[in-house]
Amino acid sequence: MTKKDSLNLEKIAHEVRKLTISMIVKAHASHIASSYSTVEMLVYLYEKVLKINPKKPNDPNRDRFILSKGWGISAVYAMLAIKGFFSKKLLEEYCKDGSKLIGGSTRNGIPGVEATTTSMGHGFPIGVGMALAAKLQKRQNRVFVIISDGELDEGSTWESILIAAHHKLDNLIVLVDYNKWQSFGRVKDVLNIEPLTEKLRAFNWNVHEINGHEFNDIEKALISKSISKNKPNIIIAHTIKGKGLSSIEDKNEWHYQTPREKEQAEAKEKGLL
Amino acid sequence: MKATFINAITKIMDTHEDCLTITADMGFSVFEDLQKKYLKRFINTGVTEQASVSVAAGLALSGYKVFFYAQASFATMRCFEQLHLDMAYNSLNIKLIGVNAGLSLNQLGVSHFSVEDIGIVRTLPGVTIFSPGNAYEMEWAMEESYHLDGPTYLRYTKLNDESERGKYPKISLGKPVRIVKENNAVILVTGGIMSMAKEAAKLLQRNGIHIGLYSVPTIKPINVKELFTITKNIKYVFTLEEHSIIGGLGSAVAEIFAETQDAPILHRFGIADTFIGVTGSVEYLLGINGLTPVKIAADIKKLIK
Repeated sequence: MTKKDSLNLEKIAHEVRKLTISMIVKAHASHIASSYSTVEMLVYLYEKVLKINPKKPNDPNRDRFILSKGWGISAVYAMLAIKGFFSKKLLEEYCKDGSKLIGGSTRNGIPGVEATTTSMGHGFPIGVGMALAAKLQKRQNRVFVIISDGELDEGSTWESILIAAHHKLDNLIVLVDYNKWQSFGRVKDVLNIEPLTEKLRAFNWNVHEINGHEFNDIEKALISKSISKNKPNIIIAHTIKGKGLSSIEDKNEWHYQTPREKEQAEAKEKGLL
Repeated sequence: MKATFINAITKIMDTHEDCLTITADMGFSVFEDLQKKYLKRFINTGVTEQASVSVAAGLALSGYKVFFYAQASFATMRCFEQLHLDMAYNSLNIKLIGVNAGLSLNQLGVSHFSVEDIGIVRTLPGVTIFSPGNAYEMEWAMEESYHLDGPTYLRYTKLNDESERGKYPKISLGKPVRIVKENNAVILVTGGIMSMAKEAAKLLQRNGIHIGLYSVPTIKPINVKELFTITKNIKYVFTLEEHSIIGGLGSAVAEIFAETQDAPILHRFGIADTFIGVTGSVEYLLGINGLTPVKIAADIKKLIK
């Protein structure tokens, strides 16, 4: 990746974080940290990978993107607005009375939102179904799903891991936002999922492990030679919950709380608010 | 019923390229031919009821109509959240088939009984529920399931009514099917236990009590207007089902009557609101719930005298 490319992506990531915190503060909403840990992955996917056309959001040949960890949807709304799926003005409706811009990913007519998720362990198997459909229909589109590390506790996630491998869904690319926090504690303390890479390889998945905030890393895992031709693909992205605003980084309370004066002051300093 | 189901799903798969069948590893002696015939469109997703419903949702979101087949208890209870969020909320073309509903798997005990399924699925907006009681109703309900745009749930029991072919009234969505003309009292029955209702009606007839009998193959939606046409001059209505008295046909009718002035007196026959902790034949298990032709006839006689 050229320096120019990388700077451009960083600029977009900044814009996503800016729109996201603005939505969350205005709505007095939660999950800013869950949104922030996905930003670089979202930016790279939407800018460089996904074959989508905001003018044809229902094109049957489009790539699909599902945020299985749907509580982080604010960053996806920001990204979709930047890509022109709808106007940035709509973001002001986030979590307002009667708004369709719901705080959990909900397929209710918002262009670009492909699946109703947010309850854990749903988006991944829905993505498996979509990848299976693409194979049956002999379409070339691919399916991308971001799951949380906490979702690796769910039975349906492991059912999906078995099904996708059995059907050799090489058109499926799952990214694990491995920020090491789940709802009530550190992943390693609540329910250890390690050794994750070895587990997933043993389950017949093509596995890459990356720094989820480094565009160069993300690119290396997503370029065509890294993608398997007969196995489903999973990218374990090591991330930092709340990445981009140091006062909330790697602290679980920002799964729940709205940035207050101190955090907002830092955001302003960084040009995010 | 099994043979009719196999014929019906085979016909639909043969006729419609957009139809898939998914099973969570169920279908011994049911799906062997279909599996051989449709190497791609028949998918055994393994014992993964939860992911299977979500996978079906992904397939339906990509344009397919997906039949999902499992034991009624596993097709509804094990994956209820997936039915709620992935199937019903999105109004997807997932067609659930709950086989061995009620007490059909009599020897296996409570793990395999399914007497709550109608009740829980009935709470999901937009899901049409079929409970065919014989081959006619099965054929009709399968075709309706395929052609309706949106989610459906079809449950059937081992117990079935063996009406003679060629003598069955026309069936339509939401409308009870008249088996015996009503008089002062009527039984509304759903599912294969219709055979028991017929026996009970015959016993009552011998005692000089003429009772009407209707089969209700659509549990949701129930056509309220049609129901009132039947019950207009009726004093007593009895419901009968191989399902808990809570949540099924009896509840559905009770909900309608509760908001109706001068509604008939209603009595629900079904599985009592208690767990069954023993095994035995289907007839035995129904019997300990008061469901035998003799007991039903006696209860009705007592209630309407």
